[in-house]
Amino acid sequence: MRRYEMMVILDPSLDERAVQPTLDGFLKVVTGDGGSVEKVDVWGRRRLSYDINKKPEGIYAVIDLTATPATVKELDRQLNLNEGILRTKVLRPEVH
Amino acid sequence: MAKPALRKPKKKVCLFCHDKISYVDYKDTQLLRKFISDRGKIRARRVTGNCTQHQRDVATAIKNAREMALLPYTSTAR
Repeated sequence: MRRYEMMVILDPSLDERAVQPTLDGFLKVVTGDGGSVEKVDVWGRRRLSYDINKKPEGIYAVIDLTATPATVKELDRQLNLNEGILRTKVLRPEVH
Repeated sequence: MAKPALRKPKKKVCLFCHDKISYVDYKDTQLLRKFISDRGKIRARRVTGNCTQHQRDVATAIKNAREMALLPYTSTAR
C-alpha cells in the first residue's frame, strides 16, 4: 500500500454539484480493492493556462488516497477512458 | 579617470534552504510564479540563486504544473 496524490481536471460543462458523485463513482475502484480515500478536495472551476480539448476552463479536484500500485493504475486508466475527464496526474508526494 | 572598482555581486541564498522547505509542491503556483519569467520560461539558477537540488525540484514542479495547465508553457507578452 502506498500513498498517492491524484489531480483530476474535469469537463467544465459538468455541474459543480455533480463533481463529488462522479468522483465517488471512480473511487469505488480504490475502496473495493482494499485501499482508502483520505481526502477529496474540489477546487472548483478554474481558468486553464491554455486550452485543453478546446476548453478554456476546467474543474480541478485533488484526491489523497492509499492503495496498491495496480489499483491506482486501474483508476487512472478508467479516468482517462472517460470523456468528462480532461486530464489526470498521479504523484507520490513522499518520494520527492 | 579610474574605472570604478568592480562590485562583488551579493551572494544569493537559496529560498528553500533558508525556509527549510524540503518538498516543492507543484500546486503552489503563487510560489512557482516567482521562478518563471513573464514569458513563462523557467528562470536560471544564477538569477534565482537556488541551490542545485532545489533548482531541480523547482524545475520539475513547474513542469508538472504546466502539464496540469496551472502554469503556461508560453505566454504571449509582447
